[in-house]
Amino acid sequence: MIRDFIRRRSINLGLVMTGGCNGCDIEIVALLSQRYDLEQYGIFYHNNPRECDALLVTGTVAKQWQEKLVELYNKVPEPKAVVAIGACALSGGIFQQETGKVAAPVREIIPVDAEVPGCPPRPAEIAIAVLKHVPPALASYRRKS
Amino acid sequence: MSYLPFGPIHPALKEPLRIKLKTEGERVVDAEVDLGFIYRGAEQIARGKPWQKVAYLTERICGICSDAHPHTFIEGLEAISDCVPPVRAQYSRVIMGELNRIHSHLIANAIWFLAVEHETLGIYNLNIREKVMDLLEMISGNRVLYSWNLVGGVRMDFKESHLKKILENLKEVESEVYRYRKMFKSDALLGLRSHDVGKMSKEDAIDVRAVGPVARGSGVKFDWRTKHPTYVDYFDFQPVWRDECDNYARVMMRFDEVLDSIKIIRRAVEELPDGPIRKECEIPRGSIDYRYEAPRGELAYIFETAQHGIINDITIRTPTIPNLEACVKHMFRDSPTIADAVAIYQTIDPCIACTERVVIVDEKGNENDFRGMQNVLKELKALKNKKK
Repeated sequence: MIRDFIRRRSINLGLVMTGGCNGCDIEIVALLSQRYDLEQYGIFYHNNPRECDALLVTGTVAKQWQEKLVELYNKVPEPKAVVAIGACALSGGIFQQETGKVAAPVREIIPVDAEVPGCPPRPAEIAIAVLKHVPPALASYRRKS
Repeated sequence: MSYLPFGPIHPALKEPLRIKLKTEGERVVDAEVDLGFIYRGAEQIARGKPWQKVAYLTERICGICSDAHPHTFIEGLEAISDCVPPVRAQYSRVIMGELNRIHSHLIANAIWFLAVEHETLGIYNLNIREKVMDLLEMISGNRVLYSWNLVGGVRMDFKESHLKKILENLKEVESEVYRYRKMFKSDALLGLRSHDVGKMSKEDAIDVRAVGPVARGSGVKFDWRTKHPTYVDYFDFQPVWRDECDNYARVMMRFDEVLDSIKIIRRAVEELPDGPIRKECEIPRGSIDYRYEAPRGELAYIFETAQHGIINDITIRTPTIPNLEACVKHMFRDSPTIADAVAIYQTIDPCIACTERVVIVDEKGNENDFRGMQNVLKELKALKNKKK
């Protein structure tokens, strides 16, 4: 119980870019700036999936990522949450066409707890999604073993 | 001798890419790059679509230089149809393009400072960048993707209040960038990580065809803006360049270009002529190779149109492709430590979302990317049908 309480106040984020245009990623990087200041909410952003609590997935899942994303998800320590960000991660966006090489949406590949629509979403929207949905998702996470 | 792979997911990398470093102790001797993690097939989607849809798609090839891609594509279409947009439209394209360049260079430097663990300057850069993002949002309505260019002009007009706000914010950005430039210049720790690290001589830069700030940091005095009609006619543009050839030169280059861009925007805002912002153009059948200076360097759009602006075939060559080769082939050589290799990699301002293109090289080493691409696809289709 204490662990859950503390985990709610210290979320480590890992970013996975699986295609798309980088637009969502620079909006996540913009969250580090003083205007949004992600760390004041106890959220620490780095890029290491083995140490993170919540995985931010952006981009159309390119065909090469389809299996790797599942592997990566399994490597994140439990309990874990996933936030899918941007139109590409939600539906494939503009790349979801007959000739596209895309396996989106993300929710069909790994379980997703929150989705942020937009092309790209504003930084504040991403911060709100993480703050609102990641702590309950971590608290109600059911361990596999 | 041992190999150290880093990527596709790595704390230092924002985008998936694998670099295999060949090391002797801490010293990096050689490197290999493995691309292809986020290939989406933008060219194949573009084929057979009207230009309006393709312009929308080109914007989503890269989110950082999201003005440069449609800018190049649309100006290429205008060159095919011999249609010169009104002067006010040309000026507003310059303003938008340079604002885009400023925000791209600031985030590039911010990520470099974060990569060498100098968080103060990294966060400062990100913070001042928000001022520029505010301007972009105010003008176009979106922070990242602007949809600014159309054939024959631009989508919206500037208001008086917009111009006032641009000058106001840029004044702040300018004074701050001068301050960060001075901090970077005089910081001893940053000097250790930047001076004489990642050397690439002018000859090597020309040899691997490095482009943009990477080439100009090595003393190559070339910029596609010196050949761009608007810059030639109204701005008498001169490229900035440095001859230190190392990390320091490349980071400093970006600061210098930001200051240069601010001067261009200020001039454009002050001299902005009155008049219409769009005129009618008809797109005939034709083909073109059009180049423009994106924030990272030369961006080439080689395409062919059918009647009424349908895109028959398109090839996009983005600046990170030669720059990545320059980094791997010349800069990583004799990098003193592995931590420096990460710093070197960030100075070329890599954009992997741009880079995931297909270039086909045949057995003799000839590049066929224009008409050749379609032939290869035909062959692949024939093979598929055979298997069925």
